[in-house]
Amino acid sequence: MEEDFMPRIIGFLCKWCTYAGADLAGVSRIQYPPSILPIRVMCSSRVDPLFVISSFLRGADAVLVAGCHPGDCHYQRGNYYTRRRYAVLRKIFEELGLEADRLRLSWISASEGRRFADVITDYTERIKKKGPNPVKKEVFL
Amino acid sequence: MEEKIGVYVCECGPNIAEKVDIERVLAAVSSIEGVAVAERYKLLCSEEGKKFLKENIEKHGLTHLVVAACSPKQHELTFMNVCEEAGLNPYLFQLANIREQCAWIIEDKDEATEKAIRYVRAAISRVRYHIPLEKKEIEANPDVLVIGAGVAGIEASLLLASRARKVYLVERESSIGGKVKGFAQLFPRMESASALLEPKIKQVVENKNIELMTESEVEQLLGFFGNFVVTVRKKGGEERELNVGAVVVATGLQEFDVSGLPQYGYGKVDNVYTAGEFERMNSPDGPTQGKVLLKDGRAPRSVAIIHCVGRQEKGYCSRVCCLYSLKLAQYLKSKIPEVQVCQFYSDLCLPGKPYQRFYEETKGKGVDFIRAEKVEISEGEGGVAVNYSSESGRLEVRNFDMVILATAMEPAHGSAKLAEILNIGRGVEGFFIEEHEKLGPVSTSLEGIYIAGCAQGPKGISESIVQAEAAAGKILASLVPGRKLEPEVKVSEISEAFCIGCKTCISVCAYNAITFDELRRISVVNEVLCRGCGNCAAACPSGAARHRHFTFRQIYHELMETLR
Ligand code: FES
Repeated sequence: MEEDFMPRIIGFLCKWCTYAGADLAGVSRIQYPPSILPIRVMCSSRVDPLFVISSFLRGADAVLVAGCHPGDCHYQRGNYYTRRRYAVLRKIFEELGLEADRLRLSWISASEGRRFADVITDYTERIKKKGPNPVKKEVFL
Repeated sequence: MEEKIGVYVCECGPNIAEKVDIERVLAAVSSIEGVAVAERYKLLCSEEGKKFLKENIEKHGLTHLVVAACSPKQHELTFMNVCEEAGLNPYLFQLANIREQCAWIIEDKDEATEKAIRYVRAAISRVRYHIPLEKKEIEANPDVLVIGAGVAGIEASLLLASRARKVYLVERESSIGGKVKGFAQLFPRMESASALLEPKIKQVVENKNIELMTESEVEQLLGFFGNFVVTVRKKGGEERELNVGAVVVATGLQEFDVSGLPQYGYGKVDNVYTAGEFERMNSPDGPTQGKVLLKDGRAPRSVAIIHCVGRQEKGYCSRVCCLYSLKLAQYLKSKIPEVQVCQFYSDLCLPGKPYQRFYEETKGKGVDFIRAEKVEISEGEGGVAVNYSSESGRLEVRNFDMVILATAMEPAHGSAKLAEILNIGRGVEGFFIEEHEKLGPVSTSLEGIYIAGCAQGPKGISESIVQAEAAAGKILASLVPGRKLEPEVKVSEISEAFCIGCKTCISVCAYNAITFDELRRISVVNEVLCRGCGNCAAACPSGAARHRHFTFRQIYHELMETLR
């Protein structure tokens, strides 16, 4: 693929865990690719599947939904709903012939700055290999 | 009114200035429609910085503010306060995090600058759709209802009353003191239980701030944190309505009924007792005045204590049985020094500071420990036979004069009904469930209702007291006489026009904050109970549920601009 292709990955991050984890990566000066574009939500359960679909239609190369570890959601069970919605979303993607591996769900806590950076680095590498989101060209907006 | 968005980029000393080309950021956003000013400043969170911002908001008559600086975790509140001082609604503000999630993680200045521009543009796009939100204040009642007058309930009541809170202590029995009242001594120091309990009971009775209501039960609870209305009924008597701001549930536990497990011979073989029965026999005001006797009136020469009775069936370790089994052995040894005591255990659970020593001490008094599986109790030759499979897997039999079953603990009877009345959850084991194991260990899913002691799960006296103090502390800190409550502002609301009455939102809400209005056939959010996670907004199929400050429009426009 193109050498200097830097994917654009929308990251829906819950305020309590993953967003704080991303802050910690920054405070620890851990470097990771600028691919991730964070959108802060109170809880991963706020992520309406429509947001994810809209991201793709608008040309995101991938989407990351990330929140607190199971059992650690600050709203008790929010991330369990997230997990279910994510599973449904993957199914829909597969049905429609879209690339479900441009979707990712991760649990990253406020203390896992290193892990946040690792997840972003790894995900970016994978998407780089896949190339830009083809939907971007196909869908007329 | 014409939109006037002010954009301010903080240099954050060298932190941002060295990594991001701020001039380029300003140039990229200053021509965006609606942006009235775009400027940089060396340190916006400093006193001069805040003054600069305030003056700018006033001078330019800004309608919206975007600050590009550090993480919202650091200074979102700081800048919201500046807005407020400048007369701008603090929710018409958006912070773009170009430090932690931009300047500090990207080496290349060009890349960092481009990313910063994206963040700031997205913030501008989002802030346009922000809606002013107003802080709400509601009156709160600082009085407290405590349900259950065992050690936990008593402790919570005393602590609350010491801070001049009116406490209604409701107990269904005729006397207070709970399970501990029936104990002679307490592990691990074997001190007298009444020496601990009696002074506390006296304090409760004498305390003018505590209104003790014995032989009474809670029948109904309405309202929400700060404003509960509770109906309490006295046995065979009148009903009373109480107004309280918070509730502590300290209803404790009870011994699991072993008659359902025939292998233990309970009720069929003579001289087989549960630990609770033995505790009563040992008590000076028990049926034998504290003498440990067999059915025929003799003192036992040998006693077996069987651990983990019901653990398998209940599916959890009751945590205190090993310890009270050691205590029972000590009772026996001190009353009948020559008695032979044998503990049949499968795993010894001795967590915490003092208990290893307590175990060694008990063992040192001549108590035997046998690791056994598949224990069965039957009629033996001249006594009770304990049949078991030893550690090596061999089947063995030993005869004893008496057998004590260390039974598992289960929630006090009536817990299911109470959970329904209070609208709080129970775990699979039936105990009341805490909001979060680590983040909210004494809170429940309903704000203002706390759990303490064994109502939350089996535990010892010291842990029960810790929880009681924690619950009381939570209440003292959140319900202060004369102070109003400020509920979360960024909560959900449901549009009457769009709601189709499908109740999806009700099913996903973890806080019972949404109810169904049968008359209008729509869901309604109680804004005091809502904590603002936004789950209902994501779940609502008709777009009726809106999460304030995280509305579909706001997030959508942030998203679209991020990707432009
Ligand atoms: S608050 Fe982090 S996932 Fe719910």
